[in-house]
Amino acid sequence: MAAHCESGTLTSLLNYAGLEISEPLVFGISSGIFFGYFHKTKAFSFPTFIVRNKPGQMRKNIEKRLGVKFSTYTFNSPDKGMAKLDEIIPQNIPTACQVDFFYLDYVPSWERVHINAHFMTVIGKEGNNYVISDAYFPTIMQLDTGSLEKGRFAGGNMSPKGFMFHCKTIPQTIDFESAIKKGIKKACFNMLSIPIPFLGVKGIRMFAKKVVEWPEFARDTEHLSHEIMKINILLEDQGTGGAGFRFIYATFLQQAAEIIHKPQLKDLSQQLMIIGDGWREISLFAARIGKNRDLGQEKLRQLGDMIHDRADVEEDFFKNLSKAIN
Amino acid sequence: MKEKDGFIDYPDQQIILYVEKEDGQYGPIQTGSYLSANFMNDFLHKRKNLEAGLRGQLIAGKISPVRFYMVMEDLTLQELSARSGIRQSRIKKHLDPVSFGKVTADELNHYASVFNIPAANLLQVTLIFTNDEFQSNVILENKAKNISVTQSATQNPYVVLTKIEERK
Repeated sequence: MAAHCESGTLTSLLNYAGLEISEPLVFGISSGIFFGYFHKTKAFSFPTFIVRNKPGQMRKNIEKRLGVKFSTYTFNSPDKGMAKLDEIIPQNIPTACQVDFFYLDYVPSWERVHINAHFMTVIGKEGNNYVISDAYFPTIMQLDTGSLEKGRFAGGNMSPKGFMFHCKTIPQTIDFESAIKKGIKKACFNMLSIPIPFLGVKGIRMFAKKVVEWPEFARDTEHLSHEIMKINILLEDQGTGGAGFRFIYATFLQQAAEIIHKPQLKDLSQQLMIIGDGWREISLFAARIGKNRDLGQEKLRQLGDMIHDRADVEEDFFKNLSKAIN
Repeated sequence: MKEKDGFIDYPDQQIILYVEKEDGQYGPIQTGSYLSANFMNDFLHKRKNLEAGLRGQLIAGKISPVRFYMVMEDLTLQELSARSGIRQSRIKKHLDPVSFGKVTADELNHYASVFNIPAANLLQVTLIFTNDEFQSNVILENKAKNISVTQSATQNPYVVLTKIEERK
């Protein structure tokens, strides 16, 4: 198992190829930590937020910063995409596939949602079933050909187009110090300096301000309750390692402090762990008011205030992190 | 977060949580989902209510089958269009129960593929009598104790094989 599907898949592929690296290091070097709030988009039926960078970006950043090479493939034809996978798997090359989570039959039906950005690793084939290592499941799973094909070739927003990749080469030497610094700098830029009002710390503030408007989008109280409780799912359950990736990033900073001999990063990792505890309080608060259908304006304002408080502390945190690394 | 505060006993949904261990090092633990452990019944209750409400509207002719599955699967018009390859203007018509009559068999198959159901289920509602009431087979957890209903594809793209059998 791993905390997150993309960082977990990358970590296991790198480990299999001989590079010893932890999931927090992969997450941190690839500048995984992020925040974005989407109040009205055509792709989502309800306001939502993200707590990580764009799907696929972790792999690209890891390639760039560690010098690792991956072989990547996309396909217009499902037949060609499945045939290529069938050609690679017998060579004992674990291959990561991007899929729509909804079509994975081994996922309990109540957990299935249409998200085109799930990553899992195909490690074998037995008859008509593929053998799957999925970061969100503690045991090896099986998936029939039809379901895998549907998942790999689902249309819509961020359509996977059969995307798959596997490790090609690992360099002899890796400059971890440079990779860690670049990863942190980019994360600080993403959280503090993107000039778009719904991204980074500005996005957290927009979330805090707009959450009181959520009842306008809901069909009824049960729908609003469901969406408010999804705040907990997005921060805790949907593969974040807890507190919307803040705990795994704190772990990255602790490991990075040792590797690049910067004790300030250890202090900052402790600060981020405490910031993460605050995000967790938001998760629990959202779950509680959702369960109790206690969703009046006063409670939503209280929720907004708690979120706004995270924006303030994260702005200070990332400014200090940026100074520490420069 | 301290390790002792992170552990949740819920084997049905395991997650990885990063915590502070006793020696001050941060690292992963495998634990249960807090939300599932404490609020699963509420989550399923809301899902069943949503399905029952939509089914009532479907049977009363107030919404079309496309609208039913679109809401159940939380898809927007744009997403459904991009996934099915059917124009948004055409889907809008199919959301209306009367205009749904103009849907073609080919379009039914496109919708069914996105919704991951047999096309035939866009034209019928199957209920299973369990726990003293009829419940929809859209919610897979609604399994009757002594009856099993399975549907599988056939070589004919428009025909689904539905098997109803006694559980032994």
